Formats: sequence, structure tokens, C-alpha cells
Amino acid sequence: MIGAGVAPMARPAVEALGLRKAFGSITAVDGIDLALEPGRIYGMLGPNGAGKTTLIRLLAGLARPTAGEARILGTRMPSREALASIGYMPQSEAIYPELSVGENLGFFARLEGRAGKAAIDRVLDLVELSGRKGAPALELSGGMRRRLSLACTLVHEPKVLFLDEPTVGVDPALRVQFWTHFRRLAAAGTTILVASHVMDEADRCDELLFVRDGKVIGRGTGAELRQRAGVDDLEAAFLIMSGLDPEGRPIAPAAGKPQAGGSADGAA
Amino acid sequence: MSLSRILAVARRVAQGFRRDERTLGLMFVAPLVITGLLGWVMRDQTDTVVDVVVVNDAGLIGDRIVAALETAAADPANHVAIAGVVADEAAAEASIRDGSGDLAIVIPDDLLAAVTSGQRPTLTVISAGIEPAAEAGNFGTLQSVMAGVAAELVPPGGTPPLLPKIEHETVFLSPDADQVDVFAPIFLGFFGYFFVYILTGISFLRERVGGTLERLLATPVTRGEIVLGYSLGFGIFATLQVLLLSAFILNSVTTPVLGPIPAFTIGLGVSSAGSAWIAIVMALLLSIGAVNLGIFLSTFARTELQIMQFIPLVIVPQGLLSGLLWPVERLPDALQVIAHLLPLTYAVEGLRAVMLKGADLSSNVVQVDLAVLAGVALIFVLLASLTIKREVV
Repeated sequence: MIGAGVAPMARPAVEALGLRKAFGSITAVDGIDLALEPGRIYGMLGPNGAGKTTLIRLLAGLARPTAGEARILGTRMPSREALASIGYMPQSEAIYPELSVGENLGFFARLEGRAGKAAIDRVLDLVELSGRKGAPALELSGGMRRRLSLACTLVHEPKVLFLDEPTVGVDPALRVQFWTHFRRLAAAGTTILVASHVMDEADRCDELLFVRDGKVIGRGTGAELRQRAGVDDLEAAFLIMSGLDPEGRPIAPAAGKPQAGGSADGAA
Repeated sequence: MSLSRILAVARRVAQGFRRDERTLGLMFVAPLVITGLLGWVMRDQTDTVVDVVVVNDAGLIGDRIVAALETAAADPANHVAIAGVVADEAAAEASIRDGSGDLAIVIPDDLLAAVTSGQRPTLTVISAGIEPAAEAGNFGTLQSVMAGVAAELVPPGGTPPLLPKIEHETVFLSPDADQVDVFAPIFLGFFGYFFVYILTGISFLRERVGGTLERLLATPVTRGEIVLGYSLGFGIFATLQVLLLSAFILNSVTTPVLGPIPAFTIGLGVSSAGSAWIAIVMALLLSIGAVNLGIFLSTFARTELQIMQFIPLVIVPQGLLSGLLWPVERLPDALQVIAHLLPLTYAVEGLRAVMLKGADLSSNVVQVDLAVLAGVALIFVLLASLTIKREVV
């Protein structure tokens, strides 16, 4: 039932077939099947260590799966050709502190084959950094660096966007702008997968994926997931689907050592 | 002052140390390895036989000296071999040039006249003039053999001969060339290698640790493009470095006295016998190798400190074994094998051949050295791009 809810209308932009990734004895992604439709925003929610980043890296072709396969726009990953239509914003700002804002953008634009000044100015405008074009990235505040990182991701107008916690350290006003922009990109046909452990962003997504221990434990709109769990709160819905009560304690006492209480963030 | 806080700090340092095997190794193993290597190199230098070429201008008495020398050479304890008896100095210089002779000794035609009139005869000794320390050693060996020969030639009961005056001539550099002239080619190779390695190593480490490398791999860029781009980017600065350093080594400008500042000389003013351009190309090939060695080794480091920690492993052995301080032929056999695996050995040999001996592209040595340096650069480029693949597990 998971991941096969809706019959795809068009060819899926992003597909995962039995995707698995193990690092030694740790299985970070444990047999995930997915089909993401073009022009929609998908939110991926789960605690730290749930496997969100690894899943994105597998989908973006940055890591080779242990088993299964990932496809972007029908092309099996990893594929260098497909990378041209992918935008990946990693969790840490991957920018060069010694370069200026404009030089950072120029560098990524040239790697993507978009050397034009117009492309750079467009994304600078978008993240409201036009005034800081000549400033060294080193001198930017944390939020500005996130914006620059996002601009670098968008400079080649990718068809598929993977955003790993894009709004960490971004102030609320800018966060709203980020989401307005994501919505505009989706309307233009871009498929967006946003990883987050901030539940309050979830309702801005068209569809949500609950990820825990390398598995998708729930998929649907926010309303559907709340209804399925029988609670009003997404966080509670997540905990219930993880087999925990709303306080984060196991519903059935776990065999062996008792699980530490607290938030879902504590999961390894 | 609180003892417990001091102890807490000390404990923290010790705990960090215990987890960092590499720092432990650097502190306890590296000095042992390097000291051992130094001891080995200094103590076990192969006793080389000095090949002597004799120019006999003195006729019969010269023949007697040559015969006595040959007898002396037959005794292995004397470490001397007669590489040939030639007609004139030009032939002797030719054999030093091609390496078949280490030293030449010229027995002058006025030897007999000088000895019979009670004057000190003058002997001319010719050496290559590019390795003062080694040549001085050869010189001493020859001198003691000659003393034995002279004593033997005197009839029993005769007066011991006056010690001959020795005139020293050199084939390549002037006899009073100093250590700087001899080491200049090495500066060019060694410093380029050293600094370029440190810079690229740290710079690429930042790419790996800072996440930009992973970000790059999410673009259509290929590994080869990254490595070649790095080589080109750093190559530009390496070129400037080599040009500046060679200008400093080859030229010298003396500033006039300016008030309280005395006149001083900028630059070493070393004369290069051969084409500066071949030397620069060699230094550049070496730098490209160093760029990619930096990229390669950055895979095995997590911090900038760890890049520095590779210095005793990567740079020091090259400094000891590549012919910088001791001629490679004199190293113990096992170390000679290692020396021939090190790129710097070829750079030192080639730069010396070009700058001191005036060798050009037609020289076998220069051709081999250029080919090896280019090959090493290529191998390091390949190794470097392979380590980038590792990143995309």
C-alpha cells in the first residue's frame, strides 16, 4: 500500500525500486519503493539518522545503492547526463568561503554549462542577495549562506530538486519566501523533494513521506496521515506510525532494554 | 590556580592524543624512522672506487708513475682504479664529462726537471666540479695513494721528494664554485614540490571535508575535469613560483648604500650552464605531480594537521634520498632502489645535468628525466582522480 497509492498520471520524475544502502552492518536505506510525480512538492519527514540524506544521495546518484535502483526522469542513476537536470542542496552549505557570492554562483553555473550573467542575476534576485554579489561568502550570515547555497542549486533551472533541510537557520520571513518560490517552481513542472525534521513545514508540501529506520512508514497528504493516525498533530501521527505513543514511548513495552524516552530525534 | 583544572586540561590533551593514532605515530615513530634512515645513509655509504684518468706528459718518468699507480690500484684497500691513460687534458675532460672518470691527474712534462733541481713540481688535478663534498673525498683518496707512489719511486736511501703543488681544475663549474651554485638546481625542484604539495593537499582537503566536493559531484563535472582543473589552476601559480625562484637564483642585483642601510645583494647570481627553460619545464612537471599527490593524500587526512603530518613520510625521505645531500650512487644498495622510485631523484639529476653540466634535450639523462617526471605526473593525476571516485561510495 505504501508508495503505490495513486496511479501515476505521467511518467514519474523520481523513482526508487527496492532501494537499499548498507554501510557495513548499518542499513541506512532499507528497501524503499517510490514514485514521485512531476510538478509536486514532497516532504520527507523523519528524525536524524532516519536515512533521509542517504535516500537523497542515492536518488541524486551521489551514492551507489547496495541493491535496487533509482531513476531520475527515466534514467537509471548514477548517471552524469541526468545530473544536468538535478539540483541538489546539501545539508551543509557547500560554498567556497574565499570566493564572493557572484563568484560562487558563477562557478556552479559554469559547471552546469550556464555561464550567462542573466542566469546568475535571476537566482541572486530570487534569494535577495543581489546587493551582496561582491561580498566574500565568508562574511555572510548563516541565513545568507543558506540562500547562496540555494541559489547555486537553482542556477541551472533543474527539473528535479533535492533539498536537504533547506530552511535551517533561515528566518521566518525568508522561509515563507523560500516556500513561495518552491511552489512557483513546482507549478512550472519541477519536482521537489524536501527533507526536514521540522514538522511545521510539512503542510506546505503536496504529499508527505514519513521515514524511519531507512523505511517509508507512511505516505499521503498531511490530512490523510493525521486521519490515518487518528490525531490532529503531525508529530503525534509520526510517532504513532513509528509504533510509539504521542509522548515517544513504545506503545507495547519493547523486549530487551527499555527504550529511552524523549523526542523522535533521539532515534539512531 | 587549581591543580584539578590543570590536570583536567592535561587529561583532555592526553585523551585526544590517545585517539589520534596518527599524531602518536608522528611523535614516536617518525623520529625513529628518520633518524634511522639518516644513520643508515651516513654510515653505510658505499665505498666507491675513484676512477682516475692519467694524462702523462712526462715521458719515461711518467710511465713509472703510472706503473706505480696501477700497482697501487690493484690493492682494493686503496679504492682507486685507473680508468685510462690518455694523451692530453681534453681527452681527460671528455672522460669526466661522460662519467667514465671521476678525477684526472696531469703529470707535467717538467716533472723531472723540477724534481732534479729541487723545486716542488706542480700536478694538475681535474674534477667535475659539481659535487664539492664528494669530489673533496675523491681528492683525498687520490692524494694518499700518490704519497705512497712517490715514496716508492724514491730509491732506498734517497731524499724524500718534495710534495708536489696541486692545481685544481674543474670541468663544469669554476673550481671556486660554492655550495650555493651546486645546490641551486635542487632549490628549484625541492621547494616547488614541497609548497605545492602542502597547498593542494590542504585546499583539496577543504573540498572533501567542507562538502563542496560532494556538491561538485552533483553537477555534470567529471573527476578527470576536476583533477585537470586543479592541476591547471595550481599549475599557473606553480609556474609563477618557479619563474620567480629561478629569477632569484640565476640573477643578482646589488642595491646601493641607502643612508643607514648598507649595500646588499638580492638574488643568488648562480650561473646556469644550460637552458633555463628545460630546467623550468622539469620543475613544472614536478609541481604537477605534487598537485596531484596533494589531492591523492588528502583522501587519507581528515584535518589540515594531518596533511602536515604526511611531510615526514612524503617529503623527508625524498630530501634524504634523492641526491640532494649525498649522491645517489653512494647510498646503500637498498636505498638506491628506493631513491629510484622517488620523482625528486629524477628532478635533481635532470636539473643538475641542465644547470651545472649544460645538458640539453639531446642528452640521454635529460630525456629520461623529463620522461620519468612526465610519467610520474600522469600517474599522480590518475591516482588523484581515482580517489575522487571513492567519495561517491
